[in-house]
Amino acid sequence: MESSYPAAERRDEVILRAEDLSVEYVVRRGVVRAVRGVSFELRRGEALALIGESGSGKTTLGLALVGLLPRTARVRQGHVIYRRQNGVYDVLSLSAGELRRFRWQECAMVFQSALNALNPVLRVADQFCDTARAHGNLDRAATYRRAQELLRLVQLDPDRVWRAFPHELSGGMRQRVLIALALLLDPQVIILDEPTTALDILTQRAVIDVLRQLRRQVDFSLIFISHDLSLAAELADRVATMYAGAIVEVSDVYEVFERPAHPYTRGLIRAVPTVTGDLRQLASIPGSPPDLVDILPGCKFAPRCPDADEACRTEEPQLVEVGPGHFAACHHWQKAGVSTL
Amino acid sequence: MATAARACAVPAGVLRSAWRLVRRVVSSFVVRRLAKALITILVVITATFFIIRLMPSNPIQVYIQEQISLYSMSYEDALAQASAMFAMRLDQPLFSQYLDYMRNLLHGDLGMSYRSVGTPVAQQIAKFLPWTLFSVGLSLLVSFALGMGLGMLTAYRRETLLDHVLSTLGSVLSSVPNYLVAMVLLVLLGVQWKVLPLAQMRGSHTAGIKPGFNLRFITDILFHAAMPIATYVLTTVGSWMLTMKSSTIATLEEDYVTVARARGLPDSRIMTAYVGRNASLPLFAQLAISVGFVVGGSMLIEAIFVYQGVGKLLIDSINQRDYPVMQAVFLIITVSVILANLLADVLYSRLDPRVRVTGGSEQ
Amino acid sequence: MSTAGSVVRRASGGLGTWLRPVIRNRAGLIGLIGLVAFILLSFVGPLVVPLSTQTDLSKVYSPPSLQHPLGTDFQGRDIWAQVVHGGKEVLIIAFISGLISTAIAVALGSLSAVLGGLFDSFTMWVTDIWLTIPHFPVLAVIAAFVKLSDVWALAFILSLLAWPTLARAVRAQVLSLRQRDYVEAARALDLGTRHIVFSEILPNMMSYVAISLVFSMTSAIYAQVALVFLGLVPFATNNWGVMLSLAWTRGTIFYRGSLLNIMSPVLAIALFQLSLVWLTRSLEEVFNPRLRASA
Repeated sequence: MESSYPAAERRDEVILRAEDLSVEYVVRRGVVRAVRGVSFELRRGEALALIGESGSGKTTLGLALVGLLPRTARVRQGHVIYRRQNGVYDVLSLSAGELRRFRWQECAMVFQSALNALNPVLRVADQFCDTARAHGNLDRAATYRRAQELLRLVQLDPDRVWRAFPHELSGGMRQRVLIALALLLDPQVIILDEPTTALDILTQRAVIDVLRQLRRQVDFSLIFISHDLSLAAELADRVATMYAGAIVEVSDVYEVFERPAHPYTRGLIRAVPTVTGDLRQLASIPGSPPDLVDILPGCKFAPRCPDADEACRTEEPQLVEVGPGHFAACHHWQKAGVSTL
Repeated sequence: MATAARACAVPAGVLRSAWRLVRRVVSSFVVRRLAKALITILVVITATFFIIRLMPSNPIQVYIQEQISLYSMSYEDALAQASAMFAMRLDQPLFSQYLDYMRNLLHGDLGMSYRSVGTPVAQQIAKFLPWTLFSVGLSLLVSFALGMGLGMLTAYRRETLLDHVLSTLGSVLSSVPNYLVAMVLLVLLGVQWKVLPLAQMRGSHTAGIKPGFNLRFITDILFHAAMPIATYVLTTVGSWMLTMKSSTIATLEEDYVTVARARGLPDSRIMTAYVGRNASLPLFAQLAISVGFVVGGSMLIEAIFVYQGVGKLLIDSINQRDYPVMQAVFLIITVSVILANLLADVLYSRLDPRVRVTGGSEQ
Repeated sequence: MSTAGSVVRRASGGLGTWLRPVIRNRAGLIGLIGLVAFILLSFVGPLVVPLSTQTDLSKVYSPPSLQHPLGTDFQGRDIWAQVVHGGKEVLIIAFISGLISTAIAVALGSLSAVLGGLFDSFTMWVTDIWLTIPHFPVLAVIAAFVKLSDVWALAFILSLLAWPTLARAVRAQVLSLRQRDYVEAARALDLGTRHIVFSEILPNMMSYVAISLVFSMTSAIYAQVALVFLGLVPFATNNWGVMLSLAWTRGTIFYRGSLLNIMSPVLAIALFQLSLVWLTRSLEEVFNPRLRASA
């Protein structure tokens, strides 16, 4: 279980790719199409931020990547291609046993509200050992040493935390324990779902700092899912914004903030106050997300977009390249900077 | 001056660490629960004592009147006899009688039986108590374990035929009064279908078989206790099962179960250590309450099946107006339940680490 | 507009909204039907079915026939008539006892939760001790000393035993409700304690109170039938418990041909208890609109 920093020539290697992924939920009213034809790539060592409001399908997407969708959900189509040294396989077509081995060892998903993510009747030590044992590492002492190392990496005191019960730790500490646990088996990919949402602002700061440091010291790729664009600014290499179950813009982080091409992204940026810079009007995006059961044709953002026209309402825009490595799904992306949003 | 101050510092330091030790002991959950149990026992004993003495048709007065009218005794002789009977010195002021009574209790002297002249109550209780403890204890164990297992089963197999059948059955059996179930078992199995040899099943054991850890004795006592145990189990397993079912369903929705799956833990481990241990906590919390209920119902069950436990002893003594026995049995039953509650609470605190910190669940 | 009136209106809210959740929940519907059936049987039935107390030794333990749908008992009397007449007293005692214990429990429980402090601690201490004492032995011992032949006396004693458990539960409910947002809002709007208790807290507890009432009725039935069965309560009229007791003491149980004699009261009591318990399942939905909407 050693960690090594990736060699330069392997940096562009794509280790996770979603191909035209569609997931839907069956509810009494009908079928909720939560994720509609999503495709993206995750390269080795990079951090990808998936930003969207609640109902955008981002959590469903995250769950689909590790095969943890609830029973009411079904994958209508698509693949989740994962690459390892010894081969390439589709996560969605793994058997139950293979899926169990895949989870946490290759790809660890850390959920929001870590407040209740740890079994309340087991000590932190037992939860680490459980995880290690489930993946064939029966040496308790080795697990202990590795866990100690990881706990220090996340700025926790191992002696204080190791034999503690979850309720004896604060929310921020629990979140960090979960991050350390995620690193235990040295996975290639870590998915964080709303890592800072349930925390107060000081603890958020601490967790973000820990994540940043970890990225420097340990080799893993990160997907983090959030509604908080400022978090993307802190941690991400690339940002993808999601709306109504589809990715509407994806680019590297600087591009997204300086030259946002999709009206939704622009709206998100303008909705966050800046500490430095001019005092400008805070603008929220009017309206609410669309109903994903009775889906209207055309661009899903059209009802809330001030620049929408007839073309927008009839034909759904696909992702087009609007700059180097920068894609946006908008018919009128050239109007960037001119809109009144 | 300085030396005096230093001399004071040493004992002060000792005092401080002694005080810390005392505080730790006192705040320990077990100690506090123990203290509460002892206080409750004390209250019950005191209340029984004073209520019996202060009630209008107070048994002691009745007894004395009886002795005077039936046997033409003098008041002093009747008083003396009553004193021996109830293990109290009736010529003394009430409060010193109370102290005497407590002292006698500590020595295990519970008075003499009224109807079985010459038999100390303690002896009778010693003869009958083990059987109740045996039948009730075994039933509780079986019912609890069975209920927990069936509850998890129905939760995992929700909405299947098995679930519906078991849940309905459980609901029906736990709503019907346990003595009625006992009667139905008796009537159907013993009288109508003649499946069981009722006459031989009466009593707690067959005379002539030597008590001990041999197979013959054990099968014999199980044979005699089968019907009472069957009744207790049938009428209590339903509620354990339904509680466990709803608890398991709720636990399965918890975040840590989803995370456990995300961590790639095997289903068997999740079912036992993650779902099972957490879902069973409410059951352990209810264990204390159910002990009291089962012991209370044992009176009727033992009467119906003619099983010689303290429940039957209590009923017989009530019917015969044997007050010393009545009072003592009531006390023993209550104390047993309180102690069982204590055990159940301590057990719960061992199982749920969150309780140890707060010192007990306030409910 | 009186607050009591608005409470009742909100609680019953028109027959349509009232009946729908009951019908939807199958167990609750069966329970309601059972309850209504037993009430009709026990209160209207006696007007229709005559009870003969004459012993007819030629007809002892006769099997079911047109004349005697459930056969006859050890004295040749019609069993069906006894079942019809035997429910009234049981139901009345259960209802009175349930009402009294629920009333005491609600009053003390909510007072305890609202007042807090010494009163609360003392009440909780008392109920705590009470919970650890097994109820039936206490009842049996009391019955030995106090003459419980009067319906009211029996109901009263029964209710005294039941209220502590209920009071604790009521207190827990009120405490949790007190923290709810709408109570905070009412307090912020300075609407007064009386309004808060009657218009905010109590309506949300109605389902709880109704369920508590039904449960205390079931325990009252358990206790009174048991007492009569053991012969600890002198009986004048012929109710289900008395039927049981007589069948037991006359050795009816051990006679093959008298199955109905013992099973009739057993079934009557068991089915009534079952109806009550199942009714509580839908009572929750009636008073709790949130459960209704999701169904």
